[in-house]
Formats: sequence, structure tokens, C-alpha cells
Amino acid sequence: MKLNYSLISRRQFLNTLFGGSLLAFFSGTLFSLAKFAFPTLGKEPDFVVLDKKDFTDIPKNSAKAFAWGGVLGLYLKKEDGSVAALKGVCTHMECNVAYRPAEKKFYCACHKGWYDEAGKNIAGPPPKPLEFFEVTEKGEKLIIARKGAKVDLAKV
Amino acid sequence: MIWPKFKDWIDERYDIAELKKLAKSKLIPQHRYDFLYYTGGITLFLFILQFITGMLLAFYYIPHVDFAYESIIDIVTKINMGWFFRSLHHWGAQLCIVFVFIHLFGTLLIKSYRKPREFLWVTGFILLVISIFFGLSGYLMLWDERAFAAVRVATGGAGALPFVGSFIKIFLRGGVDVTGDTLTRFYAFHVSILPVLSLLLIGIHLLFVQYHGMSIPISLEKKEHKEELFFPNVFYKDIIIWLVVLGVVVTLAILLPPEIGKKANALAPPPEGIKPEWYFLFMLETLKLFPGTIMGFNGETIAIVCVSIGIFFFFLIPFLDRKSNRNEGSPIFTVIAVVYIFYFITMTLVGFFD
Repeated sequence: MKLNYSLISRRQFLNTLFGGSLLAFFSGTLFSLAKFAFPTLGKEPDFVVLDKKDFTDIPKNSAKAFAWGGVLGLYLKKEDGSVAALKGVCTHMECNVAYRPAEKKFYCACHKGWYDEAGKNIAGPPPKPLEFFEVTEKGEKLIIARKGAKVDLAKV
Repeated sequence: MIWPKFKDWIDERYDIAELKKLAKSKLIPQHRYDFLYYTGGITLFLFILQFITGMLLAFYYIPHVDFAYESIIDIVTKINMGWFFRSLHHWGAQLCIVFVFIHLFGTLLIKSYRKPREFLWVTGFILLVISIFFGLSGYLMLWDERAFAAVRVATGGAGALPFVGSFIKIFLRGGVDVTGDTLTRFYAFHVSILPVLSLLLIGIHLLFVQYHGMSIPISLEKKEHKEELFFPNVFYKDIIIWLVVLGVVVTLAILLPPEIGKKANALAPPPEGIKPEWYFLFMLETLKLFPGTIMGFNGETIAIVCVSIGIFFFFLIPFLDRKSNRNEGSPIFTVIAVVYIFYFITMTLVGFFD
């Protein structure tokens, strides 16, 4: 039945209501199933905590690997003794990069990409510079954090 | 429009109209006990729910003695909604067993097992055994103290059977003791062997239901009774009940997440007051009734043999109950059914409050 001033009939209204609730039910169910199926564990972390003693003694002009979530992180000590940390993943095709002390550059062997000491892409195919992190010391620990990320130590 | 074209395409190949007619002609009798018809549907729904949540949990569970316990801790603490799906799988399993028993006892009391539906009883009985084995193998997955002790007791109990006992025990345990090999083996049972078997048997069970139609209690069969269309009336009622059951399972899963005990340690004594899952309690209490030795024989063996005979007689009821096969009232088997049900419920309660 449709009233004169109504846009839709009662049947249409009820069908929409019923269909809508079914849609809501199933999309909610599917959403939660999908959410469970795609884990948080594989996500990149906001920060990682390392043991300071493992990294302070590395020689100048060298880099040491650490785990940044599931990927390579590099802890770099430059010639002048200053330190930096970066994600050791090439911005071109996600290969791991290596520090070449002789050239003081980062090199990606997959497609011959080059980055300078500051991570700037200088030769080869890489489209973007490498991502650098913030390094802070806290007691015996070293905290490597994504730039601008909030470090919530309670989560460790 | 693509839809009518698609319909034509199907129609040219399959006789959909005939199927529709078949579906529309399916009638469900209406009577005093017709609520029992829904218990099978609820069990089916819970099985489906267990399949879905189980498949998801298998994404993260690691069936290895060193990681099983830890992977479940990870599921409930780190994975998105992991606590919820683990809890849902647990409560789905509990309710599944509850409804399997309700379905069974309902069938027993209104004697739906009688001629010509004996094979429905047989397939249903096997599905009950499978469900219980699902439960036992499922909770060993946790690899906590309780699961470890329970599986030791259950497989040890099977080992007390004369002649075949030690063979069954070693087959179940994958060795003489419950070890990491048992975990791997039970994982195989739980996620591959039992699901395939149960799918097959559920298929056959449902096919038989369609073939025979719904059974009507003997007392009502000759009287006039109304009938109702399966599509859409009973189908909608089924869906409504399933939705209510889903609500109950989800509520239980959220409010009462199952606990995880300490990791199993083969060298540590089991914790005080340890109890198996509720559906094993009647068996445990029965075993307690028997003394250690009876006239020089091992009491446990005699107990297990008695329980096995009891269960085997139960299994044979459709073939022994001649009267109801002739559609006559069969009070003896009603009494037997009531005794079985009363015994099961009493012993379960005794075990629960012990």
C-alpha cells in the first residue's frame, strides 16, 4: 500500500528495513572475521627497544643490523662518531640495502641503487630517500622510533 | 539487465523449476513435540559456526609442543579479536555437544529412530562419537595442565579395554605416553580427519532426513495433524532460532572467556581438583563406582567393559525395539530411555558438584 504523499510503499519500507538489517549483520560479521584473519603482528612497529651494549661498541664508519618489526633496520655510526638509525629497505623494490664503508654510501644490489650517508637517493632507480629513525638512549636501552611516533613503553 | 540473462543461462542447463517445486512441496508436520525438529538444525548451525571459527584459528595456531600453548596466548592477547574467536570456538563447542545430546534424547523419547529411520540413528550416533572426540582433541590443543591430564586419563581409559586396549591407546597417543607426538596426532584428528568424516556423515544424515521426511511420534501418527510449508515458514523459524543461538554463544563468549591453565608439564603433578569436560563426567563417576579389583580381575577393565556394553546396547535400541517398529506403543523402551537420560544427567551433576 502506498499513501498519496509517500515516496515509497510500506512493502518497500519493510523490505529495506529487513534487507538493511541483514546487510548490517553480515557486513559486521564479515568485517570481524576479516579483521581476525589479517593480523596486527605483521605491521611495522612505531618503535623498537634494543640493548645499548650491543650497539655502542661498533667501529666508526660501520652499520649494524637490528630487527625493525619484520624487516631490516640499520644502526649507523659515522666517521665523526655520530649515530643514526634507518630502515634498511630500498625504496625502489623493497630489497635490503647494505652500507658500503669505502664509499660511505648505502647500496642496493637488486637494481644498483645508491644512497648517500644521509639516506638521500643519489643514483640508480630509487625514487625516495631512505627512512631515518630517531635514536634515544634510556639507561641500558636504546629506543629507535619512527619520526613523530609516540613512544609508549608500557606496550613493550 | 545481466540477471535475467544469467537466469536463462542456468535454466537452459538445470531444471530449476523442478527444484523449486520440490522445495515448495516439502511439508513439516505440526504437533505437540515439533520443537524437537529444531534441535537438529541448531546442531547443524553450531557445526557450521565451529567450522568457520576453527578455520580462522588454524591461521595462527602452531601444532607443536613447544609453541602450541604460546600460540594460543598470542591469539588471545595479540591478534585482532583473537580472544573473541577463541572464546566463540570454545562456547560453540560446548553448546554443540549440549544440543547433540538434546537432539539425541529427544529422538530417543519420541522414538524417531524406529523403522524406517534406523540409519539416521546410526549416522547420528557416529556423529555424537565424532563430536566428543572433537571436544577431546580440541582441548588438548591448549596443551595446558588440565588438557594434558584429561587426555592421559581418556586415552588410558581406552587402554583398559581387553585385547584391543593397548593397541587403541598407542594409536591415539602416537606412543606409549602422552607427548608432543600426541599433540600433533590430535591436531590431525581435529582439523582434518574428523571434519571430513563429519561433513560426510552430516551429508548422509541430512539426505536421509529429506528422503524419509520428518518422523511423527507414534501416539500422534494416526491422529489428524496440521502441516506447514518448509519454505518459507519453517525455514524462517529455523533462521530465527539460529540467530538466537548465535546471540547466546556470542554473549557467553564475551562474558565468560574460557581460562587457560598453566602450560602442561609431563613431570609435574596435575593441579588440585582437576576435572574433565562435563561430557566425560558421567563416565568418570561410573568408573569411580567400581572397586580396584573384582574377584581377582582388574576393576578398571570390568568398568570399561560395562560402560562399553551400556553404550553398545544404547546404539542397538532401534534394532531391539520391535514394538515401535510395528508402530505400537513401546513402554519398555520408554522406561529404558528415561533410565539412560536420568543416569546421564544425574552422574554429570554428581561429577559437576563433587
